[in-house]
Amino acid sequence: MISRVADHCFWFGRYMDRAESTARLLQVTRTLVFDADIPVTQCWKPLVIVSGAEPIFTKRFGAGAMGNGEMVQSYMTWEPENLVSLHTSVRAARESARVIRDVLSLEAWEEVNELYHWMNGEDAKEVYRTNREQFYRRVRRATQLVLGLVRSTMLHDTPMSLLWAGVMLERVGQTARTLDMHPHTMELESAHQIVEVAIWLSLLRASSGYEAFVKKHQGRISAQTVASFLVFDRSFPRSLRYCLGSARKILTDIWPGAEDPGPGHAPYDRLDALTKWLDKRAVTATPAAIHDLLTHIVDETATICSSIGREIVGPPAPAKAPGARQEQSMTTTTNMTATATGTGTSASGTRTQ
Amino acid sequence: MIDVDGTPRSHSRRATRILDGLTPKEFAKAQSLAELSLYSQGVTFSVYSDQRGTEKIFPICLVPRVISGAEWSRVEKGLAQRIAALNLFLDDMYGEQTVLKAKNIPADLILGAKFFLPKLRGIRPPGKVRIPIAGIDLIRSPDGVFRVLEDNLRTPSGVSYVVENRLVTKRIFQSAIEESAVRPVEQYPMHLAETLRAISPVDPADTRIVLLTPGSFNSAYFEHTFLARTMGVELVEPSDLFVEDDIVYVRTIRGPERVHVVYRRIDDAYLDPEFFRPDSLLGVPGLMRAYAAGNVALANAPGNGVADDKAVYPFVPDLIKHYLGEEAILAQVDTFVCARPNDLTYVVENLAKLVVKAVDEAGGYGMLMGPQASVAERDDFRRRILAEPRRYIAQHRVELSTCPTWDPAAEKLAPRRVDLRPFILTQQSGSWVLPGGLTRVALVEGSYVVNSSQGGGSKDTWVQKDTSS
Repeated sequence: MISRVADHCFWFGRYMDRAESTARLLQVTRTLVFDADIPVTQCWKPLVIVSGAEPIFTKRFGAGAMGNGEMVQSYMTWEPENLVSLHTSVRAARESARVIRDVLSLEAWEEVNELYHWMNGEDAKEVYRTNREQFYRRVRRATQLVLGLVRSTMLHDTPMSLLWAGVMLERVGQTARTLDMHPHTMELESAHQIVEVAIWLSLLRASSGYEAFVKKHQGRISAQTVASFLVFDRSFPRSLRYCLGSARKILTDIWPGAEDPGPGHAPYDRLDALTKWLDKRAVTATPAAIHDLLTHIVDETATICSSIGREIVGPPAPAKAPGARQEQSMTTTTNMTATATGTGTSASGTRTQ
Repeated sequence: MIDVDGTPRSHSRRATRILDGLTPKEFAKAQSLAELSLYSQGVTFSVYSDQRGTEKIFPICLVPRVISGAEWSRVEKGLAQRIAALNLFLDDMYGEQTVLKAKNIPADLILGAKFFLPKLRGIRPPGKVRIPIAGIDLIRSPDGVFRVLEDNLRTPSGVSYVVENRLVTKRIFQSAIEESAVRPVEQYPMHLAETLRAISPVDPADTRIVLLTPGSFNSAYFEHTFLARTMGVELVEPSDLFVEDDIVYVRTIRGPERVHVVYRRIDDAYLDPEFFRPDSLLGVPGLMRAYAAGNVALANAPGNGVADDKAVYPFVPDLIKHYLGEEAILAQVDTFVCARPNDLTYVVENLAKLVVKAVDEAGGYGMLMGPQASVAERDDFRRRILAEPRRYIAQHRVELSTCPTWDPAAEKLAPRRVDLRPFILTQQSGSWVLPGGLTRVALVEGSYVVNSSQGGGSKDTWVQKDTSS
């Protein structure tokens, strides 16, 4: 498989999953505002922070704007300069899809293309104005449909594996970020049990994990059980453990023998170490401990993605850089030490936040 | 399709009857659904002049153009003959150059062709065939005869629309297609892959074919992805390839792998900076060395531009006679060659009657439509022609035939001018002509310009089975 195409397959998967996660997060946060007795400002601010958009956002609109739901949503949905807005993710996904047009199935391509044209037309703006819920739902549905079509209409070989590795590793970051919203919300508000339950429920919904969680825990909601579910559960397809384990398996499909030194070994080794590291952890309920664990996972995942980028270029001669990409980093909370992350330089281009 | 008295010609009667069953409203609806589906599928081209990279569909008119089987048989033979002669001409130009001694053919004119590459003399392409893929533009003149307007022997494009248009019309006019005994076009990619394998320097079964595209910003990018997908070959950009010891490799995630055949959709000048332009960063350095060493086949062969030069065009019937000893089966348009003193005098004195074309431009650019041009425009062109006669040819304006075409504003059918680009795939054993080809239509009333870049559209072309033989 051609290196350049492989790189775009990987990134296509990442952009699609990123768009889906972002749409879901926006949708759920809107509901949280109605469900919980939390000041509106405290609902939206964490979303800006965990998305990594905070520095540019506050510089442009001021810190107060982080509590303005309309401004946050508009920035996270439409802003072309925001590297993680829905608009940017869909556009980038479609650009990659055009490059890998000869490996994508017609059905998957058509769906991406329609989503892109819809987002860029008047229809989407109209729906956004008049029925916000419907808007996010539509974006989510379209991205989910694309990923479903990928699995059901493409050959299950290297291109799809790379694409799916992208989905899984992006999802690690998205779930970790979603989970990390919690301390932001809690830090300024006197923790009230009802409020806390509302937040945890919202968090589960933001990860599409509400029903799955309830099945496993019969309604016993606590910080401990929810965090544990989203981090460690081996059967929930958005948990950190599931995504890491799945990505590890996929790397051996792409590079058979990646367990041993040779092609694919570098990212495999790092991913394997991270998965084993996670297996030795237990969730303590303190927000600080969870935050540290999540930060480590996001950092390591960014390194693993860069390593995959280098591996994709293949053993010999260097390839030309296809251009910068957007790596979404884990940003820190106000009371935690800042960790610069996600600025790994892959062989096929510098990816910065 | 329609006779002078307004009745459908016998062969297209069935097709027109099907259309009769639709009300204008129904037709308009089918028309917009078809366009929407092309847009969703990304069957588009990018507009060069538009900086934002706008994509447009190549507008399709659902009313098909019908060509009878008997008529097509003649066209097929004529095209095969023309390609055979032009292949021999290219072999000769990059070999012995015997043609330069022939009586009727002016040597200086041929040697002066812009796309002639003397550096390639003596290099025999690995697969022998220099024009595996050709697109020859035909028009039908008022006498009802198909004439060659232009040869495209470098990187002819448009075949993807032929196949896509058929998919669209098939959904809407399935029974009409069956009843009219329309020959299929979907097999083109299979024939193309076979044609490309046939020029491989190694065993066809072990051949790795790639399609080389300039990239996703190219206006024909959709077609590149279409052909790669439907042939099942990889779509590569120049930076994906490299050459070592005169062998071409593609960079893969498991290391370099050898490439045997490159179907390149990149102009000669951007193939290899080592060979063509050292200042360029584009292309694959060393590709021409690998080609000269016989280690990689290029389709089409570099240097083919000498054979589709507009100044060489007037002499193609002479070339057919010279190489094959036959009379040309297909007529062409009478042409004045400004490099010839007598022709030049006639052209500059009769600009108001003539269509003048720069020999090194394509896509409808560098043209003067004498009858419609202003006096100032004609004066300007006259100066340019006198300054560089070699750059220009002229023809009397040929009345293009028309086809009933949907006019969305008036919501009815109206006559619009059309041309036709059939595609010809050639192996050493002979040529295969895609039954159909791209019918381009000037959508604007009164217009003669069918180019997609300048307001043209397309139609599905229905070639019927030949029942005469």
